[in-house]
Amino acid sequence: MKISFRCNGKPMQLEISPETRALDVLRDTLGLTGVKEGCGKGECGACTVLVDGLPVSSCLLPAAKLEGTEVLTIEGLRKPDGSLHPLQQAFLDEGAVQCGFCTPGMIMSAKALLDETPRPQVEDIEEALSGNICRCTGYGKIVQAVMRAAEKSEEGRHDG
Amino acid sequence: MTGKELRIVGRRVRKVDGIELVTGQAKFTADMKLPGMLYGFARRAGQPAGKLEGVKKDEALKIPGVVDVLTAEDLPGPNLIGVLPPFDQPVLATGDIRYAGESVAFVVAETREAAKRGAAALDVRITEVPPILTVDEALGDGARKIHENGNITFSRKLIKGDADKALAEAPVVVENTYETSFQDHAYLEPETDLAVPGGDGRITVYASCQSPFHLRGLIAANLSVPAGRVKVVQSNTGGSFGGKDDVAVEIGILAAAAALRTGRPVLVAHERGESMVGSNLRHASRITITTGATKEGKIVARKIKIILDGGAYASESPFVVMKALIHAAGPYLIPHVFVESTAVYTNKTYAGAFRGFGVPQVTFASESQMDELAAKLGMNPLTLRKINALRPGDATATGQVFKQSVGLLQAIEILEKERLPEKPEDPSDRYLYGTGHSCMLQGISNGAEGVDVVGATVQVSQDGSALVGLGLTELGQGSRTVYAQIAAEELGIPLETVTVRQVDTDSVHDSGPTVASRSTTVGGMAVLKAAREVKESLLDMAALMLQTDKKEIYFQDGFAILSKNPDARIPLREVATAAYWTGHPLMHLAFSKAPEAKYDHDTHQGSIYIAYNFGAHRMSIRIDRWTGEVRVLEHLAAHDVGKVINPVGLEGQVEGGSLIGYGYAHMEKIEESRGIIRNANFADYAVPSIKDRIPTRTLVVEEANPTGPYGAKGVGEPPVAATAACFANAVSDALGVRFTRLPVTRQDILRALQSGAATHGGDKNG
Ligand code: FES
Ligand code: FES
Repeated sequence: MKISFRCNGKPMQLEISPETRALDVLRDTLGLTGVKEGCGKGECGACTVLVDGLPVSSCLLPAAKLEGTEVLTIEGLRKPDGSLHPLQQAFLDEGAVQCGFCTPGMIMSAKALLDETPRPQVEDIEEALSGNICRCTGYGKIVQAVMRAAEKSEEGRHDG
Repeated sequence: MTGKELRIVGRRVRKVDGIELVTGQAKFTADMKLPGMLYGFARRAGQPAGKLEGVKKDEALKIPGVVDVLTAEDLPGPNLIGVLPPFDQPVLATGDIRYAGESVAFVVAETREAAKRGAAALDVRITEVPPILTVDEALGDGARKIHENGNITFSRKLIKGDADKALAEAPVVVENTYETSFQDHAYLEPETDLAVPGGDGRITVYASCQSPFHLRGLIAANLSVPAGRVKVVQSNTGGSFGGKDDVAVEIGILAAAAALRTGRPVLVAHERGESMVGSNLRHASRITITTGATKEGKIVARKIKIILDGGAYASESPFVVMKALIHAAGPYLIPHVFVESTAVYTNKTYAGAFRGFGVPQVTFASESQMDELAAKLGMNPLTLRKINALRPGDATATGQVFKQSVGLLQAIEILEKERLPEKPEDPSDRYLYGTGHSCMLQGISNGAEGVDVVGATVQVSQDGSALVGLGLTELGQGSRTVYAQIAAEELGIPLETVTVRQVDTDSVHDSGPTVASRSTTVGGMAVLKAAREVKESLLDMAALMLQTDKKEIYFQDGFAILSKNPDARIPLREVATAAYWTGHPLMHLAFSKAPEAKYDHDTHQGSIYIAYNFGAHRMSIRIDRWTGEVRVLEHLAAHDVGKVINPVGLEGQVEGGSLIGYGYAHMEKIEESRGIIRNANFADYAVPSIKDRIPTRTLVVEEANPTGPYGAKGVGEPPVAATAACFANAVSDALGVRFTRLPVTRQDILRALQSGAATHGGDKNG
C-alpha cells in the first residue's frame, strides 16, 4: 500500500506492506536510525517519535497509521543552521547521556512535554518520561537537563 | 606531570563523544544495513534439561526467505566458548541441553520475520531430563552431573589466622544466612553482532561488546582460522555492565559462521526476551556469615560460606568466586578470617559478569551482619564500622597492606558530618522512617583474575591535534572522555582537539577486557605514558626551535611556551609539523602494567589488587505503612576515588550504579518456574523508571593512588554494592525486622507490616 506523510519537515511517499511497523519504515526505509529499538513491545520508550506532536512508541504503531501525519524524529531536531536543540544541548551539558541508546527517545518525550508545558515541575517531567527506560544514568541528570532546557527556551523567548 | 596545576584533568567536561548520541547520528550495530544482508535468529531449547536427539531442517528451509540453517555439525571449529579454560559452553547444543535458553540451531533469512518463522518451524527433538534447579539439588548426594566433572564449577578458600578458634573465644557472636536473586543487566540495547565477509578472505564482525579481543580470539578459534583473519570492530554499545561478553561471542560466532557459508553479511539482533533468557545474569547467592567481636566492638573473626548459583555454564564464575572470596569480610581490619566460596552448576540461564562482580552479594550479607552485630552490642552502626575500618598500613583479609589510598575513614567521617534529613510532620502516623549505612571495598584491576596490561597509542598530527587508541571500550561510562582529558592535559592542547578512536582489533593493541573498574586506572595510565613519550619528542623539537633547553619549555593551550618569557611561544602545530619534517616521532605505543598479583593459592594471602575503591553510603527512607511503598529521602554515596578526573562522569557513574543497586535490592527479580524464566520483558521485570530514581549525592574522598593516573582509582562498580546494602539496612531500621533476602520488594514489606513481623509498624501498634 501507499502512504504519504511528512517526516522531519519533508514530504514522503512510500510503498509499504500493511504489517510493517512505523519503526521499520523510519529506520530501514528512511534510514532514520536515531530511532532505537529496545524492546519492540512498547515497554522501553527507545523508539519514541512525535506524531502530530504527540509522543508515540513507533514499535507499536502500524506504518499505515502514519498516513497524513507530521512525524518528527531526533534527526529532525537540530535547528536549520545545524545548531543543537536546547534539549540536545542540555542533555550534553548536564551529563544526561551515557551510552546514549535511550537518549533519542528520551529527548523526544521531553520535547513533547516542553511543547505542551514550557515550565514543567519535576512531577511533570517524571510523568512525561515514565515510559522511557534509562539503565545508565540513574535519571537525576536527565531531570536536570529537561529543567535546564526549559529555562533556556524560556530565556530565548524573553530575549525575543 | 608538568609540575603545574592541572588544567583539564579534574574539570567538569562534556562527554567528548556526546554530540553523535544526542543527535541520533551515532551508529549502533543494528543501525547498519548492508547490501544482501541476512538476519539470523536462534531456535532455543525451551526446556531446562534434556538430550538433543536431532534437529530436522526441512520444514524451516521451506519457509519463504529462509536461506540457511546451522546446527552444531555445521560449525567449522570446536564449537566451544568460555572465559577460563577448559571451556564448557557450546555455541550450538550438541548432546546435552543444560538450560532453556540454549541455542540448538541458527536460521538465517532475508528478513528477521522469516528467520523467526524458520526457527519456529524447525523440528527439534529433545528427550526431557529432570532439571536441577537449586544449588542444594546440584550439591546433593548422587545428583545428576550437569557437566562431566560434576556440579561444582569452581571453589576457593581464603584463610587468615584461625577463625574457628577466635570465634570460640569471642565474647559476642552473631550468625546469619543471606540470599540474593539473579539480576538481569537490562542494558537498553539488546545484544547485536553483524558479520561481514570480506573479499580478502577475512571477516569483519561489528559488535555491541565489551572486550573485542576476547571476541576475536573465540570467533577465530570457532571458525578454525588464525586470529588475524578476523577483525572485530566495537560499534557504539548501548550499555554493557559486564554483560556483553559471552553472549557477544556466541552470536558473533553464529553470525560469522553463517556469513562465511552464505557469502553475505549476517546480522543477529537479540530481542529483549532473548537478552534476558539467553545471556548471562548476576549470580544468585546464599551466604552464611559468623562474626565474633569483643564487647567493645572490635571484630576478631569472620567465618563465611558463599554459594553462588552459576547456572548452566562457567562463564565468569571462577573469577566471581574469587572476587566474592576476597571481598566477603568487608573493608575491616580482622585478624582471623575464613572464607569458602563456591560456584555451582544448575539448569538455569548462566551467570557471569555484572557490574560489581560478586561484591554486591557479599556486601549485602556482610553489611547486614554489621548492623546485627551493632544491635547486639547496643552500638551505633556507623561507630561500629568506624572502629573496625581499614586504615593505611592495616592488612586486608588477604594480608595485603596499603600504605596509602585507604580513604574509608574519611568517607565515614563525611557521612557523620551530614545531618540526617528532617522528618516532616505526620499527624496521620502513616509513615515509618529508617536510615541504613554500608561500607565496602572493591578491588581495582584484574588482580588475582589475571595479568593486567594495557597498550595505548597517542599520535599527534601536524595540525597539533591528537588521536588516542587503546583496546578498552567505551560503554557509556565515559572512558573516552577520561582518556581525552589525560592526553590533552599531558600535551597541553585543548580537549576538543583530542579524538579517542573506536576500538577495532586491527588498529589498537590488545588491552585485555574492559572490566574490574580498570579503565581509568590501568587504561588511563597507558594513555598518560604514551602522551608523555610523544611530548618528549615534541619538546626536543620545540627546544631546537626556541634555541633553549627543553626543561625551559612547557606546553599549554596548544602552544610551546618559554617558562622565562611566556610571550615567547610557538603554536604546537608548527612544532608538530617541524617534528614531522625532521623525523621526530609523533606517535608512541606505551604499556601500563599493573604490578602482578602475588598470593598463595590455597589461602589467598598476598597482594591481589593494585588498589581498592572504598565507599561508605547512607540512605534514609520513608515507608508508607498502608501500601508498603518506599520513598528514598536521601542517599549519600561517599567514595575514595583517589583523584577525580571528570566530576560529571564520576557523578554519572555513582548515580547510575546506585540505581542499579537499588533496583537489585528492591525491585528486580527473575521469576522462574520449572527452569523457565517467566518475566523476560520490561513489563514484568521491573527495571527502575524515572519515578523510582533515588536522590543520590556523590561525595568524594581523594586519597591518591600511586598506581593510577594523577592518583585516580576506578569507580564504575562500587556504588552497586554499597547502595543495595544500605537500602536493606534502612528498611530493617524502619521496620524493626531484618530481611535476609534480596530483593526486599514492596510486597515483602507490606507482608511484614501486615503479619506483625515488623515491630516498628504493623496495623495495630500505629
Ligand atoms: S522499542 Fe518501542 S517501546 Fe521499546
Ligand atoms: S544512557 Fe544508556 S540507557 Fe540511558
